[in-house]
Amino acid sequence: MKIISKQDFDAFINALIQDESLDVEGVKAKGDKFVFGPLDTATELRLDYDVTILPPKKYFLPQYETMMHFDISTGKATAPAMDTKKVIVGVHPYDLIAIQQMDKYFFDTNVDDIYLQKRKNSLLIGVMPAKASEKAFYGDLMKNAGTPELHFDLMVTDLGVLYAVLPGTPEGAQLLSRATSRDAQPQEIEAAKNKRQEAIDRATRGLKVGPKAWHSLLSNNYMSSIWKEMADQCLACGSCTLVCPTCFCYDVNDEVGLDLNTGVRTRTWDGCLLRDFTKVAPGEIFREDIVERYRHRINRKGKYLPESMGFVACVGCGRCSSQCVPDIADPVNLINKLAEATMDTIPDTNMGHVPEKSDLGIIASDSLYIPRTATIRRMMKLTKTETFFEIGLDDGQPLGHVPGQFVEVSIYGVGEAPISVSSPPGGNTFQLIVRNVGDLTNKLHSLSEGDKIGIRGPFGTGFDTEGMRGKNILFIGGGLGIVPMRSLIKYVLNNRADYGKVMILYGCKDPSELLFKDEISQWENTPGVEMHRTVDTCAEGENWDGQVGVITTIMPMVTFDPLNTIAVVVGPPIMYRFVNRDLLNMGMPEENIIVSLERRMKCGVGKCGHCQINGIYVCKEGPVFNYKDIKDEPEAFS
Amino acid sequence: MKPKVAFFDFASCEGCQLQVVNLEEAILDVLALVDIVSFREAMKEHSDDYDIAIIEGSIARPIDIDRIKKIREQASILITIGACAHLGGVQRLGNQWDAEANKVEVYERHPGSEITKGDSNPYFAQIKHRAVSEIVKVDAAIPGCPIDSNEFGKVLVALLTGKKLPIPDYPVCVECKKNENICVFETGGFCMGPVARAGCGAPCPTHGGECEACRGYVDHPHTQAHGEVLKKYGLSPDDIMTKRTMYNYRDFEDKGGD
Repeated sequence: MKIISKQDFDAFINALIQDESLDVEGVKAKGDKFVFGPLDTATELRLDYDVTILPPKKYFLPQYETMMHFDISTGKATAPAMDTKKVIVGVHPYDLIAIQQMDKYFFDTNVDDIYLQKRKNSLLIGVMPAKASEKAFYGDLMKNAGTPELHFDLMVTDLGVLYAVLPGTPEGAQLLSRATSRDAQPQEIEAAKNKRQEAIDRATRGLKVGPKAWHSLLSNNYMSSIWKEMADQCLACGSCTLVCPTCFCYDVNDEVGLDLNTGVRTRTWDGCLLRDFTKVAPGEIFREDIVERYRHRINRKGKYLPESMGFVACVGCGRCSSQCVPDIADPVNLINKLAEATMDTIPDTNMGHVPEKSDLGIIASDSLYIPRTATIRRMMKLTKTETFFEIGLDDGQPLGHVPGQFVEVSIYGVGEAPISVSSPPGGNTFQLIVRNVGDLTNKLHSLSEGDKIGIRGPFGTGFDTEGMRGKNILFIGGGLGIVPMRSLIKYVLNNRADYGKVMILYGCKDPSELLFKDEISQWENTPGVEMHRTVDTCAEGENWDGQVGVITTIMPMVTFDPLNTIAVVVGPPIMYRFVNRDLLNMGMPEENIIVSLERRMKCGVGKCGHCQINGIYVCKEGPVFNYKDIKDEPEAFS
Repeated sequence: MKPKVAFFDFASCEGCQLQVVNLEEAILDVLALVDIVSFREAMKEHSDDYDIAIIEGSIARPIDIDRIKKIREQASILITIGACAHLGGVQRLGNQWDAEANKVEVYERHPGSEITKGDSNPYFAQIKHRAVSEIVKVDAAIPGCPIDSNEFGKVLVALLTGKKLPIPDYPVCVECKKNENICVFETGGFCMGPVARAGCGAPCPTHGGECEACRGYVDHPHTQAHGEVLKKYGLSPDDIMTKRTMYNYRDFEDKGGD
């Protein structure tokens, strides 16, 4: 630990500001509040602040961020130029914890290269809080948290007339060597330690249940009437999520210039309190009721992210509660309310809110977001609204998917949409069947053979073709559900000897919506395949030789041993409830039912947050699920 | 062939057309996309041969109804710009009185009122104020008082490329928070931001004002919860009504208010 006089510290900051290779950002006053912003001089720096309006998250996941520049005519995209190296001065420990959480989230499984680059390109100078804001409760969260290791380059503690500065990384130490400093005396080290404890103790507000027990508390109270009581006062304005240092959800948009050719793909903060957050192109909103959105926010923090990432996504900064005008966002108030209403004992888990120190040495293998170029090899209109596309990647590589996975189809200037792959694995091309429902699919339908598109993926978890081996397979497809199912049907038929009896039940609205007419008659005539099809309604005089009625009416037409049969069910949300109920009544074990679920899969890589079913990221853990694993998620089939 | 564009103004201050002029050099990019054949604020020429009609202003007189219907017949795309055309404007507040009484109040109690008296002069005949979409089909409404120049460009690009209109359905708070503003309620003001449609970039709260919901409400505003907040922060029921009706008297009328 080093000791710097306040005067020398100012000189140090001013020297950094003078260094043209650095962009020095720090805490400044804005009215009677504080914000992080570019520093012109050290005198602007307000290390005595309580909390900033927005967290330093904005430096790593900015409010508006260019992901790539594109040129529609050439079909090329380029990553944005690298920013000047940032030094961020005055980050409080709770925000350092939030950054550590963000690191874990964005480095998990698919490393977000855009985030990583910004993160590697910044130095963090922390400061112990000189005062706590009215709503802060990081002190409550730190009880029983021990002394976790935080990631910072330098940590500053105000000792009155002097600053104690502790380097946390070699880069930090190197930066500090630019300052006039001396080694700290033992009593100064002790004083700094006391200051840290004082800072923590100051920010306590009587939280009744510590973060390690939030998981149990929230699990036991999902159906509590408190959610509705609070949500009735909610404006659904999204402020609580927007100012939160541990809310990472974002939306992606393409913006085209007035030249109609060049533009940028950007990401911008989104929030689960906003009504459109879960809206898919056909119009369905999966969390339409405000109480579902209100409950989701807190559950994501206290239950879902602990399950998937191992940390409670709250750091006690108090920003949400200070920004919520109806005053219903405060986690302390809510957790205490739930705790008071609950009779059960609330056991601790081992998941606190401080993840282990970040590893910035991590390497991103590929650009997560820039698509590969592909060519439409063949197009064929199937129905009024569906078109068949055969796509080849321009690098000549096979897609390498398994049945049930999806790709993100990208058209610069329009955007991206998740589309299920409909062909079986193998070959140098793959097939998509696309319904014309939104901007992207609309544009895709207007293209021609030979046109270029972008492809990212394959993404998601597909069907477990190995686990199905030796079993009878009962396919139950409704409407567009036949599209991802076709990939598996063809795979099973190509490997016929590996599977038992094959039964296919396919239902759609009316005969005009029937897809794959030729293939269906082929399947019908394949020995060892039993196929039945039905339509909800059939106009008089229409040519139709199948059944009429919803899909459950043709289920009794097949006989099978439920213990030795796997049912693969894919269709619109409403279908699952009835089909699964009937299968269970037939004696089929829950683990023999496989479903594929649709949600708003915007990024495809488990980052943007839109596709969550409770805590499950459909784009990563799904879209294919074993019914047994997903049935207890309240949002799965509601 | 570039589409031909004509601008028309009805009851308004014409400030939205000025916002188009305020695009400055970017207007040259617009001219590369479309031919402007009629634009009173920027050129002398006028033509009635157009594909896209851009309408500013509310419908205030019987002759306006005939005129807008004629424009609709000619135009293949009709875009409205601004709160007057979109919602009826602040002048729609006049709807709380009888149209004839408004005419007397505005035109007939002052010197020189001979020419405005009676039914003989159609330029002064009054009806209840209406938004353009209440009279004819509108293909795209660019909201705001005034419109945002950038949004005008974005809507034009969306229309020309067949994309969904880039007008968000979330509240102004979203953009206000991203701008890192101090909440208007914290500064002692009263804000319509939590129910108002965003897309403007929250310029009013960013520059020390309050959001007045000039772009209308989001599709599902939490009006009741917002009313409770206004009350909690000390706004009287009358003042709450004033806030809600200033730009959104249309919403008040649509909900059966009188």
